[in-house]
Amino acid sequence: MSVLTTVRNARRTVRREPEGVQPRGRVARLLSLHGGATFLFLYLPIVVLVVLSFNDSRIVGVWGGATLRWYRELAGEPAIFTALRNSIVVALVSTVVATALGTAAALSLERFRWRGRRAFDGLLFLPVIIPDVTMAVMLLLLFVQLFDVAGALFGLRAGFGLGTITLSHIAFNVAFVAVVVRARLARLDPRLEEAAADLYAGPWRAFRHVTLPLIAPGVAGGALLALTLSLDDVVITSFVSGPGSTTLPVYVFGLIRRGVTPLINAVSVLMLAGSMLLVVISLTLQGRRGGGALRAAVPGRT
Amino acid sequence: MSGPTGPVPAVSLRQVTKRFPETRLDDEVVAVDALDLDIEDGEFFALLGPSGCGKTTTLRMVAGFEFPTSGSVHIHGEEMGHRPPDRRPVNTVFQSYALFPHMTVARNVAFGLEMRDVDRSEARRRVDEAIALVQLRGRGGAMPGDLSGGQQQRVALARAIVNRPKVLLLDEPLGALDLRLREAMQVELKQLQSMLGITFLHVTHDQEEALAMADRIGVMDAGRLVQVGTPAEVYERPRTRFVAEFLGDANLLTADVLDPSRVRLPDGTTARIATDRAAGSAVHLSLRPEQLDLVGPDEPVEHHLDSLEGTVARIGYFGSAIEYDVALDAGGPEVLVTARLGNSRGVVTREIGERVRMRWAPESATVLED
Amino acid sequence: MRATAPGGAPAALRSDLPRDGESPERAAARLAARRGALIALPPIATMTLLFVIPLAIVAVYSFATRGRTGRTVLGDWNIAAYARLGEPLVLEVVGRSLGYAVLTTAICLVIGYPFAYWLTTRPMRVRAVMIVLVMLPFWSNLLVRTYAWRVLLASDGPIPAAFAALGLGELRLLFTPFAVVLGLVYGYLPFMVLPLYAALERLDLRLVEAARDLGASGWEAFRHVTWPLSRPGVVAGSVLVMVPTFGAYVTPELLGGSRTTLVGSFVVRQFLSARDWPFGSALSMAILLLMLVATVVYFRLQEDRA
Repeated sequence: MSVLTTVRNARRTVRREPEGVQPRGRVARLLSLHGGATFLFLYLPIVVLVVLSFNDSRIVGVWGGATLRWYRELAGEPAIFTALRNSIVVALVSTVVATALGTAAALSLERFRWRGRRAFDGLLFLPVIIPDVTMAVMLLLLFVQLFDVAGALFGLRAGFGLGTITLSHIAFNVAFVAVVVRARLARLDPRLEEAAADLYAGPWRAFRHVTLPLIAPGVAGGALLALTLSLDDVVITSFVSGPGSTTLPVYVFGLIRRGVTPLINAVSVLMLAGSMLLVVISLTLQGRRGGGALRAAVPGRT
Repeated sequence: MSGPTGPVPAVSLRQVTKRFPETRLDDEVVAVDALDLDIEDGEFFALLGPSGCGKTTTLRMVAGFEFPTSGSVHIHGEEMGHRPPDRRPVNTVFQSYALFPHMTVARNVAFGLEMRDVDRSEARRRVDEAIALVQLRGRGGAMPGDLSGGQQQRVALARAIVNRPKVLLLDEPLGALDLRLREAMQVELKQLQSMLGITFLHVTHDQEEALAMADRIGVMDAGRLVQVGTPAEVYERPRTRFVAEFLGDANLLTADVLDPSRVRLPDGTTARIATDRAAGSAVHLSLRPEQLDLVGPDEPVEHHLDSLEGTVARIGYFGSAIEYDVALDAGGPEVLVTARLGNSRGVVTREIGERVRMRWAPESATVLED
Repeated sequence: MRATAPGGAPAALRSDLPRDGESPERAAARLAARRGALIALPPIATMTLLFVIPLAIVAVYSFATRGRTGRTVLGDWNIAAYARLGEPLVLEVVGRSLGYAVLTTAICLVIGYPFAYWLTTRPMRVRAVMIVLVMLPFWSNLLVRTYAWRVLLASDGPIPAAFAALGLGELRLLFTPFAVVLGLVYGYLPFMVLPLYAALERLDLRLVEAARDLGASGWEAFRHVTWPLSRPGVVAGSVLVMVPTFGAYVTPELLGGSRTTLVGSFVVRQFLSARDWPFGSALSMAILLLMLVATVVYFRLQEDRA
């Protein structure tokens, strides 16, 4: 069960406040202190970054008054906008494709018995545990070989670009979507699908009218995870990108390596705001249910 | 064991066997074992048995959720083979109702009609009718999660009957309800069935439910049908020890057959009974506690009754009834026989240690097969 | 009812008919298997093209030879690249990566467990907000969150500046092992907290009550009831932290120096600067195998204990 589902269920089942077994006295105070400190640890760097992005000084450690100057200067950096556009295109396309494929994979693994099922199950485990660099190497060599073959056999000239980046993101996202959707499917009462079949729904209509609406939070969660992973990726993208086809994280990563500047602070804050906005949007979209997608994609079970 | 001959049965099972692979070992579990059964058109048939006896698996094979390892399922004469549930003329009321949580009550009920592309206005009319029939008028817009257990049960019922199936399958439909509601629903279900004239196949582990509602009962044990008959037949004439003990309470006495009309009881007295077992064989005798009558030891016994004498060992008070456990005067281990007396006006109460005589009519005693 | 008579079945359904002597169970299982495989076909095709074949290519490259110009010669197969895995430098880098990964996981657990436990003791309404606050960093861009530490730790950044202002002298934090582990812990702490929270929240507190009722002290009840029952969360959290930190690239690149090279950067270097693809391929294979064995063994061990 995922995190907030439990919160909601707990609320519904009127969980007793377990006063008798809760830590008291010094232990409770220590726990609270630790809890507060952990939240501080999680948020202080972000807060500092946000504040510094408004700092009117080229030297990061010196406060020179508040300004929006760096954000204005961003507008004069066309490379950032190209990279942003690339990122969005790659993220959207790869998310849509990976979500469809991952959902199909989850369905076939969770609801059917077929030959090769166990092998496919094992195969889908690999992209989840494989380090980014290994995946990057694999895809780099794949495209190098493909281009060689295409050139030798058909005289085709293809190169690294948004296409190779998108395919690469699909490659690592399918497995993650499948894991998330499958967890949701496993919790779905199979009787509901039987009831649909009992009421004359054929396989497709049962899926369309019963299964899909009920696993929708899982599918949305998988999609959100895919979107986030795609927008986060640096290593794999930098291996398979070509001239003029960098994504925003790769571009920013390159900037950071050259040093800390107020301009990067501003970009970073905007990127943070972007991902948080994504979270807030999915929370409101599923308002009544309290962000099922977010919960679904959070690892809560082994 | 099959039903009466004549018109085509609504459901008939021929040598149906279902084996499930045991997941851990490479063994198999036989859930249903060479079952033969005919259910008449328009009949209320209850499959009764303890959990794990194969009754639900049997129902699921009729519905098309499971398929026989061997044998065949026929519905109105048509062999079902491996036909999926959506192409079978039956509908199911699930144990946990399995209402679609994301649809309103009305959409739940309309689902089957929608899937069969029934004309919209016609569907609307039938949905309203079904909702009214289960007394949920005005709740069509509610979500299943907002309904009480009893109301959900009614929605599940309406969702099934709105399709006018040839056979309605009910899998422990009242299991999740509390006692009072369950009893009320028993009456309603029975009325509904006679009104609609649909064949009901009702699976339950609750013997009172089966006795109260069914036209015929099939008692299952370990994947086999042990006895099929009307409620009165299976209750009053249990064929086996399992049936006798599973339906109501039974006093089981060991007895020796003297001749085709007499047996010797543990205390050495004889009792009259009709049996085709050979003289000298040991049999089990079933006596229902409520068929026993308690009198003082010196009271005369009418010649058409049989009797046993003993000492009251335990008394159980149940409000409407009082049970006396009477120890027989046999040598060896203590044999207790229970008599249940209605707690009506004028009943004579007995004390522990009091000598009593239990009387019964010979036709109320049954010789069991095993 | 749809048309059902065997003879009148639509053409598409003809193959659905049972074969001679086939039991209904078998026929149904055959159809379900066919349907399942059909649904799995698109993802299988995709994963074959984008994962299985690439993996095979890497395996092939790992036995190839590096040409003089850095171009890989596919031919002259040898295991020289694998032999190089035993070099002290490689062992040092891999050992360091493993060490950092284990250290990061341990620190995350030490911070995360009491934190997750504390969250479960908060009143319901506060708790829901707090969980969202833990999830926000989880969903936020890792690169940017790591960058924040680069800013904080920079020699002219707030933390060293504060030290200097307090008269504690100059503090060099950036590009040290400390910075790398700090960045990793910061980056992956939510991955530990969320599964731990899920496991602790699920825990039936009546069991703890029962333990206390049977005379266990608070600590004993924790040790014998709470901790063992929260183990699935510990396992999930540990794997979710250990696996990505072992292969981490962005964090050590931004916060570490030349003496804190981890396998991620090491592999990248073989491809982008050293141009030794066979060696890089062999390294990649070794890393994948190491992760695979580690996770499988870890899950197995935990299953056996459970």
